[in-house]
Amino acid sequence: MSSVRRFLAGLWRTSRRQMSLLTPFALLVVLLILCAIRSPILFSGGGFSGLVGESAPLILAALALTPIAIAGPAGIDLAVGPLMNFINIGIVIGLSQLGWGSTNPVLVVCFAIGVGVLIGIFQGAVIALLRLQTVIVTLAGYLILAGLNLVWLSEPSGTAPTWLYDWLWSPQAQQVFSPALFVLLGAFVLWALLARSTFFRNLRLMGSDERTAYTSGVRLVATRIGAHAVAGVYVGLAAVMYTALIGSADPKAGAAFTLTAVTALVLGGASLSGGRASGIGAVLGAVDVWLISYILTTFRFGMAASYVVQLATGVVLVVALVAGGLLTDLARRRRRMRGQTG
Amino acid sequence: MAKSSTPNGIGRSASASDVNAEASEFGRTGLRRRMATLAPQRSLILGVALLIALVVAGSVLVPGFFSVNAVRSMLLSASLLGIVALGQTLCALIGGLDLSIPFVVGAANVSLLYLTANRGIPSGIAVLIVIGIAVIVGVINGLISHRQQGQSLVVTLGTGTALLGLTQIITTNSIYSGGTIRGTVPGWITAIATPDGGRSGFGFAPSVLVWLVIAVVAVLLLSRTWTGRAIYAQGGNPVAARRALISERGIWVTTFTISAVMAAIAGMFLLGFSGSAFYDIGQPYLFTTVAAVLIGGTTLIGGRGGYAQTVLGVAILTVLTVVLVGLNLSPAAQEMVLGMVLIPLVAAYARLPHPRLRV
Repeated sequence: MSSVRRFLAGLWRTSRRQMSLLTPFALLVVLLILCAIRSPILFSGGGFSGLVGESAPLILAALALTPIAIAGPAGIDLAVGPLMNFINIGIVIGLSQLGWGSTNPVLVVCFAIGVGVLIGIFQGAVIALLRLQTVIVTLAGYLILAGLNLVWLSEPSGTAPTWLYDWLWSPQAQQVFSPALFVLLGAFVLWALLARSTFFRNLRLMGSDERTAYTSGVRLVATRIGAHAVAGVYVGLAAVMYTALIGSADPKAGAAFTLTAVTALVLGGASLSGGRASGIGAVLGAVDVWLISYILTTFRFGMAASYVVQLATGVVLVVALVAGGLLTDLARRRRRMRGQTG
Repeated sequence: MAKSSTPNGIGRSASASDVNAEASEFGRTGLRRRMATLAPQRSLILGVALLIALVVAGSVLVPGFFSVNAVRSMLLSASLLGIVALGQTLCALIGGLDLSIPFVVGAANVSLLYLTANRGIPSGIAVLIVIGIAVIVGVINGLISHRQQGQSLVVTLGTGTALLGLTQIITTNSIYSGGTIRGTVPGWITAIATPDGGRSGFGFAPSVLVWLVIAVVAVLLLSRTWTGRAIYAQGGNPVAARRALISERGIWVTTFTISAVMAAIAGMFLLGFSGSAFYDIGQPYLFTTVAAVLIGGTTLIGGRGGYAQTVLGVAILTVLTVVLVGLNLSPAAQEMVLGMVLIPLVAAYARLPHPRLRV
């Protein structure tokens, strides 16, 4: 327990430094307390691996949205859900259609990441070279990919590779150090390295002020395409974990998934005006969103259950936004009273 | 709302296109500069050309394209999309987006039938209640989106999801089967959205007339009234708008309220069209409204475009859909084609200026 307390204390210190993390962090604490009351099983080895496995696709998708949100302005990748679905179908059905088979884990993961990066680069190139708004291009990407998914596969079918299914569902996976946790940790390490790179510094500069970035010699086109390529890596990983989670291919889940991932991103304190979004925030937001629906399923709402989840998600999203805005105002006012600028 | 004493130039002096045109003096010369100042007309010319091309393609490829029934149903679906797209246009003009539209459409659709068939409330009062709820949602959307600048997309997503969830919770315990509520739809609402006009005797759906009235009012509102010019000023240059004593909050609230009310009206008309209520009936409008706005030439940055352009966008989308359906494409394939059409169109007239040209 002491390690958990130290971890939470560290998070608390970080969120004190970054006001935007305060809301998702406070929400996480409240939700964990509710979980402890409603469903203590979550804190056992099996419960924890369940949490990790089931929330992994959402966490990775929220991380995928983050670099694009940083690149701004109004940097929302609406295509993230359908793209994840597209790769999901690719893993379950496409690989065998290509004659490559899906028995080799390395091949499957590389395929997923490769497709994600390629489509990401393509979208990024259209946005950067044609100078179109991100929302418009990713909306078109959404429509094209969602349509393509349904043309490819009209209804949920197929089975995931056995080894991938076992990552989540075999008895060996029901412990704290499950394969899903290692995938997530790997993704976090990669993120931590990226977040300290020059590329990310340039990306943040471009997001906060494109003109300043341009006059400082940042290569805007390359940086923007890079942001979408990084997003593609995480969409690919999200698709792998999603395939493991549902154990088949589902062409229709993409639309709802985009909205959930955007919810997670914003709940995590990302500003859609660009420049300000953090990986920690995205992860916190995703865990929050997952915990909300998890806690609500412990109540017996019967037929109305999914509607209650819908209502609660919407209300929490709006309340978190308002609270985040109030906190930022408060911090700014306090800073001004201290006589500092900025 | 129209104040004759206010300077008519507010919208013009603050619009983004002027700022961009001024900035582009540095980089562009001759023909290219003239092309830049032609940008609004360019979108109009391209749009009309595309519409004509689609109509020609339709008459050649789709048998019965000009039959009375086909034209009637095209008019009906265009009127519904057109009404909903007005709200999205206004929101886009001030640099926002309203993603609560599909949810409001669904909620209005279900709650009207719930109120009349299940609660026995007279249809006139039920319609007023539904519009009242839409006003509340719109005001909330406007207030919060104004506070959280740039987050309107997520704010409206949140309020919309919550509204539809709440509607479903309230109506679930009634006559419920798989997301559909059954009951008799009030006769006059059915008549409004019947392709051949039903009892009204017009020969076309009366909803088209409603759309026409709304369109004329909207175009006049945007071009002739103080409120309309203030909307352009707000979208084009918020700082200048503030200097001109335009209430930023007032504009945001007005815009989002109109959007929610329009969505509610379309949702109720859809009830008349389909004869039974369905929660997800508004889902197609999530992206078709945005597409209609974009194809028409209204940018999402704000300050440029207008409702007349969106009407053109609605016409293009409607004819395109008829052509694609006539070619036996599945809804999924239609979606794909729509996505592929979107980029070249937007690239033709809604490109952002290069950073070195921005001020």
